[in-house]
Amino acid sequence: MRKLVLALGVCTVLALGALAFTSRSAVWQGPAPGDSLAAPTLAAGDTAGLPGPRQPIFFRHDIHAGQYKMQCQYCHYAAEVSQEPGMPSSQTCMGCHLVIAGSDSSSRAEIAKVRDAHNAGEAIEWTRIHSLARHAHFPHMRHVKAMGPDACMTCHGDVARMPQVFKVNNVTNMGWCITCHLERNVTRDCSACHY
Amino acid sequence: MSKETNEEQRPGIDRRQFLTVAGVAGVGTAALSGCSTDRIEKLVPYMVGDEDHVPGVATWYASTCTECPAGCSLHVKTREARAIKLEGNPDSPINGGSLCARGQAGLQGLYNPGRLLGPKRRDADGSYRDITWEEAIAELAAQVGSAGSDVHVLSGAGAGSFTDLLTEWVGALGGSLVRYQPFDNEALRAANQQVFGRGDVPDFAFGKAGFILSFGTDFLETWQGQVENQRGFAESHGYHDGHMAKHVYLGHRMDLTGMNADEWHPTHPGSDAVVALAMANVILSERERAPADAGTLRSVLAAFTPEQASQESGLAPEAIRRIAREFASHKSLAVAGGIGSQHRGAVEACAAVNILNYVSGNVGDTVVFRGGRPAADGYGALESLASELDAGRVAVLIVHDANPVHTVPAATGFADKMAKAGFTVSTASVMDDTASQADLVLPNLHALERWDDLRPAAGVQALMQPVMMPVRDGRATGDVLLEVARTVGGPLSGLDAPSFEAYLKQRWSNIAAARGRTDFRVFWQEALGNGGLFDEAAPGADVRLADGARRIGFQRPTFDGDGEFVFAPYPSSMLYDGRGANKPWLLENPDPVTKITWQSWVELHPDTAASLDVREGEVVRLESPHGSLEAPVYVYQGVHPGVVATPLGLGHTAYGQYAEGRGVNALDLVSGEDGAGFLPYLSARVTLHKTRRYQKLAKTEGNPRQLGRGIAEAMPFAAAVQGQTPAEVHGGHHEVNTEREVEAIAGWGEAQRERLDKGDYQGEHPNWGMVVDLARCTGCSACVTACYAENNIPFVGEQEVVRGREMSWMRIERYFEGGEDGEGFSTRVVPMMCQHCDNAPCEPVCPVFAAYHTPDGLNAQVYNRCVGTRYCGNNCPYKVRYYNWLAYPKLNFEEPLPLQLNPDVTVRARGVMEKCTFCIQRIRGAQHQAAMEDRPLQDGEVTTACAQACPSGAIIFGDQHDPGSRVAQAAEDHRGYHILEDLNVRPSVTYLAKVQHGGEH
Amino acid sequence: MTAIATDNRPTQTHAEVTRDVVATLGTQSRGYTLMLFGAVALFLVGALTFVLLLKDGLGLAGYKSPVMWSVYITTFVFWVGIGHAGTLISAILFLFRSPWRTAVYRATEAMTVFAVMTAGLFPIIHIGRQWVFYWLLPYPNQRFLWPNFKSPLLWDVFAIGTYLTVSTTFLVVGLVPDIAAVRDKVTGWRKKVYTLCSLGWTGSDNQWRHYTRGYLYLAALATPLVLSVHSVVSWDFAMSIVPGWHGTIFAPYFVAGAIYSGVGMVFTLLIPLRKVLHLEHMITEYHFDNLAKLTLLTGSILFYAYAMEYFVAWYSGVAAEQTTFYLRAFGPMWWAGWTMIICNAFVSQLFWFKKIRTNIAALFVISIFINIGMWFERYVIIVSSLGNDHLPFAWGQLDPTWADWGILAGSFGWFLMYFLLFARTFPIVAIQEIKEMIPMPRKRAGGHH
Repeated sequence: MRKLVLALGVCTVLALGALAFTSRSAVWQGPAPGDSLAAPTLAAGDTAGLPGPRQPIFFRHDIHAGQYKMQCQYCHYAAEVSQEPGMPSSQTCMGCHLVIAGSDSSSRAEIAKVRDAHNAGEAIEWTRIHSLARHAHFPHMRHVKAMGPDACMTCHGDVARMPQVFKVNNVTNMGWCITCHLERNVTRDCSACHY
Repeated sequence: MSKETNEEQRPGIDRRQFLTVAGVAGVGTAALSGCSTDRIEKLVPYMVGDEDHVPGVATWYASTCTECPAGCSLHVKTREARAIKLEGNPDSPINGGSLCARGQAGLQGLYNPGRLLGPKRRDADGSYRDITWEEAIAELAAQVGSAGSDVHVLSGAGAGSFTDLLTEWVGALGGSLVRYQPFDNEALRAANQQVFGRGDVPDFAFGKAGFILSFGTDFLETWQGQVENQRGFAESHGYHDGHMAKHVYLGHRMDLTGMNADEWHPTHPGSDAVVALAMANVILSERERAPADAGTLRSVLAAFTPEQASQESGLAPEAIRRIAREFASHKSLAVAGGIGSQHRGAVEACAAVNILNYVSGNVGDTVVFRGGRPAADGYGALESLASELDAGRVAVLIVHDANPVHTVPAATGFADKMAKAGFTVSTASVMDDTASQADLVLPNLHALERWDDLRPAAGVQALMQPVMMPVRDGRATGDVLLEVARTVGGPLSGLDAPSFEAYLKQRWSNIAAARGRTDFRVFWQEALGNGGLFDEAAPGADVRLADGARRIGFQRPTFDGDGEFVFAPYPSSMLYDGRGANKPWLLENPDPVTKITWQSWVELHPDTAASLDVREGEVVRLESPHGSLEAPVYVYQGVHPGVVATPLGLGHTAYGQYAEGRGVNALDLVSGEDGAGFLPYLSARVTLHKTRRYQKLAKTEGNPRQLGRGIAEAMPFAAAVQGQTPAEVHGGHHEVNTEREVEAIAGWGEAQRERLDKGDYQGEHPNWGMVVDLARCTGCSACVTACYAENNIPFVGEQEVVRGREMSWMRIERYFEGGEDGEGFSTRVVPMMCQHCDNAPCEPVCPVFAAYHTPDGLNAQVYNRCVGTRYCGNNCPYKVRYYNWLAYPKLNFEEPLPLQLNPDVTVRARGVMEKCTFCIQRIRGAQHQAAMEDRPLQDGEVTTACAQACPSGAIIFGDQHDPGSRVAQAAEDHRGYHILEDLNVRPSVTYLAKVQHGGEH
Repeated sequence: MTAIATDNRPTQTHAEVTRDVVATLGTQSRGYTLMLFGAVALFLVGALTFVLLLKDGLGLAGYKSPVMWSVYITTFVFWVGIGHAGTLISAILFLFRSPWRTAVYRATEAMTVFAVMTAGLFPIIHIGRQWVFYWLLPYPNQRFLWPNFKSPLLWDVFAIGTYLTVSTTFLVVGLVPDIAAVRDKVTGWRKKVYTLCSLGWTGSDNQWRHYTRGYLYLAALATPLVLSVHSVVSWDFAMSIVPGWHGTIFAPYFVAGAIYSGVGMVFTLLIPLRKVLHLEHMITEYHFDNLAKLTLLTGSILFYAYAMEYFVAWYSGVAAEQTTFYLRAFGPMWWAGWTMIICNAFVSQLFWFKKIRTNIAALFVISIFINIGMWFERYVIIVSSLGNDHLPFAWGQLDPTWADWGILAGSFGWFLMYFLLFARTFPIVAIQEIKEMIPMPRKRAGGHH
């Protein structure tokens, strides 16, 4: 009898503990951060193991944002002026890829997809990775303004090192927002986000 | 908030992208998930980058409202390339920045689930089948080609380029064009012709008048430009530093306009002419400085004594004399010709009122003839078209922007006559009563999807532009006409414009040239951006009496049948001529007078009801020589005992799911025959039969009496001038607390504030507050629709309203005053929204902090935290918390209605409490904007949807902590008071007591 | 104990008592079976209704704004109230050593536990998003959110929780010796079960000494709860500013009402039960007479409270209060208002007459009136007060639907189901306490064998 009670007690404590710490999400262990941002060349085989959903076009953030150090806002221009980050139009892609056809066969193939889609006038349907519930309002421009160019990494992880983007932090989790707002001592008023 | 044109970018986006981009914003069914955690799976970008549309940022376009002929200018708010809200264009001399409920509900015409997906052709068996536009136009062209000159067009379009094109088009064919609008002021124009020798409608300067006398004319509802009139009325009748016009209303029913009168006298229907003439007589015989030629009227007017008028109207002779003298001693304005009192003697009535205005020297002053107000051809023209149809002389009938089968009494048999036309075409975008009889239906585009312009008033040329891709596969009728012209050729070959857009631009290039503007592109961009051209109104013409003025007279108007009651149908301020009946926002926005939604009803005076032993909700059958109808009774003190009144607008045989088969069409009891060139709405007597059946009225009113609780305060004009407070007027009614109690409460409040000075609550914050001026508020309910549109409030439907479950965050409470044992009957209105109490009773009782107080003084409701115990709702003394008993958005927002939803506002899920938020999304948006620009928020930078829409400017919103702000200063007004102040809940909404002339009410 | 030896109390031997009580276990009587089936049927009705509520929302019920609480909260308070008689009788009367409780306290304790179990369901049933009811509990979470301890609803959660725990413990502890007695009478798998439940009870003097001491402390612990729980429940209303709720009289008023309704329910349950289980000679007029006196007392307190409510409303001079109480008597819900006053204030006065107090049939009929009256008391307080509060324009009258009645019926089914199963499985009459009251036989029949 006493044993049973003891066991129950322990279980309860563990359960509560677990609840309390679910918000502590793992820090991403990406490709070993080296000095150069040179993106690895990936053969078709290598991509299978990559984390994150497979996109209709194998867009390499590690090449664009990493190797060529393009600003996030070059494509996601809305993020610094609007609450919605927005997705770049395929015209934006063509701006460069009219001239850049790709270095190796695999990249050429992917770039061809973009060109074809654009010429065919078909929108590219990207698979969404980060999405907040509709009852939480996240003004991107405020965060970009407050935290500078590296703002994006804070939530989206070191995209510049990701051959394929995947969810690093559980940003849909309110604990994620609150922890950050606590550390930076900024508003925790519910109605700042919920209305 | 840029308002730019979008023609450059337009070809860039196609409909598919419009919808998918909407997907990025997560509207549509995704948005309906509200507090649940549905996710949007795909991200679909624009094909071509569009500087006009930054995702998440609103783009504004200027356009023009077509919900009634008034021609108000619009600012259309679009997000992710779809229109989500309509607001008034501040530049417009007609509506300023405001807009009425009907105008705002135009969005639900745009996104109406009943809109046709494409053109339809009726088969021999009467069923409709979908056809392509090519087939449709070929068909029409063939019919028109073979019809020769027997093409007749019935159009309700206002004066503008489209109507001009139509005129050319029909003219070239040698056919006939009848321009018909149901409420066309025919009687007024005839009277003007008779008395002043000119048949146009003047401008009425309500804003300049010091004494307004209305003969049963609802100038605050449907007569002329409601918004324009209301703005003027608020200007003169809204109390401001010791000045306020007096408004006297003579009529058989107290409508919204009558509710806003300082005096309402129930006169016998049809007696207005003789009363007006008697007043003119009194004025002329007692007054020296009448216009010179008015003297010639003395002999004519001498016949009309107040005594005689008293016999006809039931209004005491002294009253007539008094009102006449007051009328003469102010800068005054008398109006007549309202649809609600259009009997067979309407022309005489208007003529008489013209005389009254003339002898008082108002013509040219408050009644100004500028010839700017276009009118249609009138009811007479429609009648002759009907006889043409009847004679089978019409090969092709094209009905555009009109629904005669509904708006013309069935007694005229118009529907049957229409059936005799060789081939009938309708351009209705929804299958309405008329379209469902047509052989061919060519759905027109909504006004927000097409190009056009309007000339609604002197000096106003208002433009319309497509603000978004068409929601349905319609086609602008202008383009259809031009394409038919191309196909038919021959007589029509003159019309060679490639598109209506081109046609429109051609005409505007002429305007540019006439104004010496060389660069048309710049001119055009400006015009589109401003919503058109708003010029200084020309000075009024110098108007003198015509010979007809001496032919004025009065004979008692006749009413068909021998029933004991005169039947008085009146235009609904929400549904207008019935075109509002397919828009849930209007159906659910309570009638400002009776507070009934979704239904038709019959108004009876309490005495009448008592004598007949009928109670509210009992279904009665009204029978006139022309027909009969059955509707539930609403017992209303404000209707003449000898009259039964019923609103127009419902009883559609077809017009989409919301309208079809709902309520009754009051016109069924009315005679259509006339000959005088107008439709006599008051033309029948009715007998009333009980059915012993009962129907629960879907009304939002609980108890219409204040029970002495000082909710809607009012004070006599004299008291207001002396600067008295409502409490003083009541003799200290509000002073319930002793001095010690007051001290204690103050000290307690201080302690509260100290305890709050932690975390986010530290430091200086704004304290958002509102002031509602009851002296300006008319109860028109424009704010209600604005709130629905801004805050994604779901409509709940008739049955749920019967259950008292309407979700309207903004509620116009209407209270009756007096009326018992002979004392004067009057009404008061109070807009009731969340008071955002600083000591809110709803906050401490919420077990999960879903209801809590924000640092900036808002009483916030966190939907996603709410578990739905509803304790807050119980503890709210103002009863402004609304609960999602069912999943209303999911149940009621049928495609494509969800496209209207405001992406900045959470759609509430089932089981959560919601309420007015002071438009927190606007506040936060403005704060973000200011923060991005590193500057503090300015007063007036953020306002609520209700305040923005209010035509009377009765609502002021702002930061009460900023002593310079408008709201802080207005709150200091001596008329200011808080509702239920005794509860010490510290509301943030201050009401300014209504002011009334005369002590009797 | 000898002082009451003259009363018409059971004059059996210990063995007979054990025999008769054990005979009630596993009864197959038709009356019992019918009652059980009825209860289960009702419960299923409620369960089905709840499923539909989960699916479509509370809109299925008759809620009409501004009446945002109605039948469910009414029934919640009703059951919490029922839950009071038990602890009162078993704990307080135990401390007062009143002899007549012995025969009935087991039944009333069981009633208490199951009534509170029933009431405990309603906070979940009546909220809009039942699936997040746990947000009402304080637990550490990554959102750093806590419930609002200012809210009376949260006090409810704790009050009910505590009461359920204590009354359950009390019941179980009281059962131990009796289960042991049963254990020694039954065979087969039943014996195993009862052995487990009897927690190794041997009936040694040592055990008895600890047992009685422990029982005494539990009684002392339970006693204040009788007063606290319903006070807290009453504050759900009294703490608000709704006219008709906002009264300092509420706590004592509700506690009295609770005991009144609880005792009423005791009648309703025991009268048929003693017949079905053939316990007439153990639960006698003597017990009912005393229970009736308790009813008379609490009923009279209610009488006073009702009068006082109306007086305070008038005396306060607050228009809203006066209107509310005027409408209670003469408004659209006058019938409910008078039902409550007649069934509670007046019917209870019949117990001045011993003839009625000792007439089983009359007691049963009256107890039904009491149950109805007390349910309507809560209905009137909640619904009519909410229906007409500060803003006349927003007034509205409730009209309940099948969803309201479905849940109400279900709650009765749920309660009766447990009670009947308990009566069949455990001694519904406290064996060892009955025995205590029997004069010692000359020859000691060692142990219970």
